[in-house]
Amino acid sequence: MALKASLLLDGQLAPGETKAALDETTADPVLRDRYTVYGLVGDVLRGNSTPDDGYTMRILERMRREGARIEPDYDPLAGDQ
Amino acid sequence: MGEANQDTELVRLAQAGDERAFEALVVKYQRRIARHVARYVRGAGDVEDVVQEAFIRAYRGLASFRGDSAFYSWLYRIATNAALSFLKRQPDTVLLGDDAPEERADAFEPGVSDAEDPERILMASQIADAVQRALARLQPELAEALTLYEVEGKPYAEIAGMLGIPIGTVRTRIFRARDFIAKRLDPVLGPQRDRRW
Repeated sequence: MALKASLLLDGQLAPGETKAALDETTADPVLRDRYTVYGLVGDVLRGNSTPDDGYTMRILERMRREGARIEPDYDPLAGDQ
Repeated sequence: MGEANQDTELVRLAQAGDERAFEALVVKYQRRIARHVARYVRGAGDVEDVVQEAFIRAYRGLASFRGDSAFYSWLYRIATNAALSFLKRQPDTVLLGDDAPEERADAFEPGVSDAEDPERILMASQIADAVQRALARLQPELAEALTLYEVEGKPYAEIAGMLGIPIGTVRTRIFRARDFIAKRLDPVLGPQRDRRW
């Protein structure tokens, strides 16, 4: 099943398979971790040296803290907002 | 890297309200966005603030993403705007040229560029060393597939053509390479699954 996490990371799944792979990956702590570490491996190979210090979690925590939600009329490319 | 529209399905799911799909995109791109932001902003803490702001802007504006460009290209532009917004709020900032980022020799390393944090610098160095050691021990055909994809940015289909193998074999080789390296990273990373995603 870790193969699917790898394919999910690379967008290599058929449209009908992506949601199922996301379900499987996020439901299993080991697969979820593999998804993150596979991404880390790629970044390190590209020269993005990085600590393993919860960077992603802090992004997600701030999004939750600020109640970020999809806004139909918000344009993120319209300069200072 | 590879195919331009590889994120289409995750974006579509996120637009339909599946927060996990957007989280998967955050996991995938946070380091690349941090590297980009660090071309504009000094200091790991400020870089991280801008990266967070960029992802929040992207999520708020996700409905406006039409797929005319790759998701990463769209996110990259949002991060640029967020970095410039940050710089404009700094009283001593002078932007050179047309919003040109100041080229910095020490650009990037999210969370690592603070000289006062040797522990994080050491951790990053240990991770990089472990990845390179594992890569060196990989079967050559696996290392080749992974390097073509991750380092040279070749799409799966092109790798298949270059190596004369079916695309399914490319998928398997890249996965096996990643998994081999990931397992050798485990002792370095430690059991911190709840801290990653």
